[in-house]
Amino acid sequence: MDNKQQTPEILDESGDKYKYGFTTDIASETISKGLSEDIIRQISLKKGEPDWLLEFRLQAYRYWQQMKEPTWAKLSYDKIDYQDLYYYSAPKQKVAPKSLAEVDPKLLSTYEKLGIPLKEQEVLAGVVAVDAVFDSVSVATTYRAKLAEKGIIFCSISEAVREHPDLVKQYLGSVVPYTDNFFACLNSAVFTDGSFVYIPRGVKCPMELSTYFRINAQNTGQFERTLIVADEESYVSYLEGCTAPQRDENQLHAAIVEIVVLKNAEVKYSTVQNWYPGDKNGKGGVYNFVTKRAACRGENSKISWTQVETGSAVTWKYPSCILQGDNSVGEFYSVALTNNYQQADTGTKMIHIGKNTTSKIISKGISAGHSDQTYRGLVRVSPNADNARNYSQCDSLLIGKNCGSHTVPYIENRNKSAILEHEATTSKISDEQLFYCQQRGLDEETAVSLIVNGFCKEVMQHLPLEFAIEAAKLINISLEGSVG
Amino acid sequence: MSGLLQKNIDLAGSNIPWLEGLRDKGREAFILPTAKTEAWKYTKLRDLSADDFVLSGTDEDKSHGEEHCTCGQGECHCHHHHEPQTNLPFAGYEIHFENGILQTLAFDLPKGVMIKPLMEAVFDGDDVKKYLGKDIDLASYPFAALNTAYLEEGVYIEIEEGVILSKPIILINHTHSCHQNIMAYLRNVIVLENDAKATIIEDFEYTGEEKSRYFNNIVNEIYINKQAKLEHYKLQNEAYKAVHISLSSVRVREGGFYESFCCQKGANLARNETKISLKEEHAEAVVNAVYLMNGWATIDTTTDIEHLSPNTKSQQLVKGVVGGNAKGVFQGKIHIAPNAVKTEGRQLHKALLLSDDAEIDCKPELEIYADDVKCSHGAASGELDKEQLFYMRSRGIGEEEAKRILVEAYLNDVINQISQEDIKTWMLSQATINQEEK
Repeated sequence: MDNKQQTPEILDESGDKYKYGFTTDIASETISKGLSEDIIRQISLKKGEPDWLLEFRLQAYRYWQQMKEPTWAKLSYDKIDYQDLYYYSAPKQKVAPKSLAEVDPKLLSTYEKLGIPLKEQEVLAGVVAVDAVFDSVSVATTYRAKLAEKGIIFCSISEAVREHPDLVKQYLGSVVPYTDNFFACLNSAVFTDGSFVYIPRGVKCPMELSTYFRINAQNTGQFERTLIVADEESYVSYLEGCTAPQRDENQLHAAIVEIVVLKNAEVKYSTVQNWYPGDKNGKGGVYNFVTKRAACRGENSKISWTQVETGSAVTWKYPSCILQGDNSVGEFYSVALTNNYQQADTGTKMIHIGKNTTSKIISKGISAGHSDQTYRGLVRVSPNADNARNYSQCDSLLIGKNCGSHTVPYIENRNKSAILEHEATTSKISDEQLFYCQQRGLDEETAVSLIVNGFCKEVMQHLPLEFAIEAAKLINISLEGSVG
Repeated sequence: MSGLLQKNIDLAGSNIPWLEGLRDKGREAFILPTAKTEAWKYTKLRDLSADDFVLSGTDEDKSHGEEHCTCGQGECHCHHHHEPQTNLPFAGYEIHFENGILQTLAFDLPKGVMIKPLMEAVFDGDDVKKYLGKDIDLASYPFAALNTAYLEEGVYIEIEEGVILSKPIILINHTHSCHQNIMAYLRNVIVLENDAKATIIEDFEYTGEEKSRYFNNIVNEIYINKQAKLEHYKLQNEAYKAVHISLSSVRVREGGFYESFCCQKGANLARNETKISLKEEHAEAVVNAVYLMNGWATIDTTTDIEHLSPNTKSQQLVKGVVGGNAKGVFQGKIHIAPNAVKTEGRQLHKALLLSDDAEIDCKPELEIYADDVKCSHGAASGELDKEQLFYMRSRGIGEEEAKRILVEAYLNDVINQISQEDIKTWMLSQATINQEEK
C-alpha cells in the first residue's frame, strides 16, 4: 500500500532551540495505520522475512495483546492509541542502493544538516562507519568492506536475517525475550529495522561503529532493533546517536538493544540522545520507551553503557547488565538533562549472578524548567554471586524551583560476601560557585553551563572523543533559557 | 473480604456516629497488600492471609486461652489482670497492656498530663475527635485501615502547654502465649501542646511459649505542636512466630522536634513504619533504628518523611544485622515539597549479612520538588570484616564471641546517639540477636 506523504520543510523560526527540527520531503512507502496480525504479516512480507521470524513476531503480538502498559514509572503522558500509528514506513526506493551515489540526494542532505555527511565520512576514511537508519530501513552502510576483511558483520538487521540467519536466530530475543515488558513485546512484534553487529572471535574492531537514527515520516512509530554479539576475546565500541525532526504530534519510539558478550570480550555502547523534546510549553516531542540490555555470558566479559540523554519529551529507559560470567564487569555512566516540560525516568539494572562480578553506576541528573526526572535503578546480588561488588553514585542538580528530581534505587543483596555501596545527593548549584564564576567575568548562563559540564565530567570522559564534544554542546543548547 | 477483617465484632462506642464512620472508612479501605503492591514489594504477607486470627479479648479468645493454658500455674490468668511486671531498669509512668488490652494506667501523673483509655476520651468528648485518623491516608496504609476498623483499645495522651515531663511514659504490651492466634489492635493518640517536652517508650514483649503465633497491629498518631519535643523509643521483641505491624504517624509544627529510636529483634514478620510530616518551618525529625535477626524472620523498617515547609530538617540512621535465613528490609523516602527550600534531608542505611542465606533489600528514595535543598542518602551492605575477626581471634577470643562483639560495635554508633543515658544503657543491653529457633 502506498501512501505518499508530502511534508513541507519547516525550519522553526519561533526561536525554539531545537536545531534539528526539519522534515525531509521524501515519498514514504507506508503500510496502513493500525496493528493487527495482518499488518505484521505485511511487514514481514515486505521485508522478505523467513517464516521463523514471522512466527516470532506473531507470538510476540499475541502475547502483547494480553499485556498492560506499565504505569509504575513517574511519567505522565497522554494515552497512546496504538491503532493510530503507522508501523512501517520506508523511504521509497525501487532498488537497494549499492553505493552512496545511488542514495536519494534529499536523504543525504538531511544527514548533512545533522552534521554527519556520509560522503565526507567516506573520505575521512576509517574513523567512523555509519549504518544510517532513516525511519525504518537502512539505506546506506559504509565501510562494510573494510570491516568484512576482519570478518566483522555490521549491517541492518533485515540484511542480517537474510545473510546470517543462523546468527540472528541464535541470539535474537535471547537477552530481551518478547515476554519481557510491554514495549519490548511491541517491538518484537513490529520491529522494522535496526543494526546487527557480530565481532568474531579474537577480533578487535578497528573503528567505532555508529548508527544515526532518524525519525522522519509523520506518525511512524520507530521500532528499532539492535543486536550486538561480541564473540570470545573480541572488542567493539558502538555509538548510537539520535535526532528527530520537529513535530507537534507525539512520536513513539520503542526500541530494543540486545548485546551478548562472550568470554573475555568487551563492548562499549555509547548513546547521545537528542530527539525533539517538545516545545517550551511541553507540546510535542518524542516518547522514548527503550529496552536495552547486555548479557555478559562469559568469564571476564565486560559491558560499558554510556549515555547522554537530553532529548525526548518522555524517556523510559534502563540499560541493564546481566553479569552471568565469573569476573564479568558492568558499567553504567549516564547524564540526563531535562528542561521545560520533559520527563525522564531512567537508570540501570545490575544483576550479579557470576562470582567476583563488579559493577559501577555513575548517574548525573540535571533538571531545569518544569521538568521531572527520576533515577530508578536496581542492584541485585544473587545467592551464588560471591564477592560481588557494586558502587553506585547518583547525583542530581536542580536548576529553578519548578523542577523535580527523584532517586529510587533498589538494592537487593542475597550474598554475604557482596559489598554494595550506594550514594545519592541532590542539591542546586551553590551560590558561592556561581558568585565565583560571575566575579571572574562570566555571565550567569555561561557560569551555569560551566558548572553543569563540570558536574557531568565524570561521565563525559567515558564517551568517544567526537561524541564527547557533541554531548557537551548539546548540554549547553539544552540548558539555554533555564537560567534567570 | 480478608479473614483479618471480621464482621459482627462488637466494639465499644458503636453508637457514636463519627467514630463508627471512621471505622467504616477503615473497613472500606483495607485491602491486604500483595506481592505486586509496591510498598510491600519486599515484605511478603503470604502467610498472613491464611492465618485464622481471633480478635483479642473476645469470648472465643478467652475460651481458647483457658483450654490451651501453658502458664503452668494450674489456673490460667491470662485474660485476667496480671500484676504489672516490668524489667525496665528505670522509672517512668507505666501503662500496661496484656494481649493488646489495657490493664493498668499510670498513676501519680504530674499536673498538665492526661492519660486516658482511648474510648474514655471518646466518651468524655475530649479533643481526641480532633486528632483521630486525621493525618493517615488509609488507602496508602492498609494496616492502619485495618487498625481503624477495629479502633477501640489504646490510650489518649495529652501534655499541656509548657509541661516538661522528667520521667518517660512507658507503654508496655505483653502477649501471652496461651492465647494462640490472637490479633490485637492498639491505637494511641499522643498530643504535645506548644513547648511541651516528653519521652515515650514502647516495649513489646511476650511471655510463655515462644512459638506462639499472634498478630499485633499498632498505630500511633502523634501531634507535636510549636517548639514541643518528643523522644520516642521502641523495643520490638515479640515471639519469633509473631507478626508485628506498626505505624507511627507524626505531625510536627513550627520548631517542633521528633526524635525516635527503634530496636527490632523479634517476630517472624515485622514492619515498623514511620510517617512524618514536617508541616511548618524549622520542624525537625531524627529517625534512627537498628534491627537484628536470625531464623526465618523478615524485619522491615519503612520511613516516609515529608518536608512541607522551608528550613525543615530530617536525619535518619538505620543499621541492621541479618543472620540465618532472615531478610532485612529498609525503605526510606524523603519527600520535599515545592517551596520547602533550605531543607536538609539525610539518610543512611547499613546492613551486615552474617550468613549465606541472609538477605537485605533496600530502597532509599528521594522525591524532590524544590531546588534549594541538601539531600542525600547512602546505603551499604556487606559482611563482617575478616581482618577484624582475625585480629580478635588471634587474641584468644572465640569466633562466636568475636562476632558478637563486632555486631554490637557495629550497632553502637546508632544507639549511642540516644541522649538519655539510662535509656541508652537499656537499649545497648537489648541490642543482641535472639537465639535462632531450634
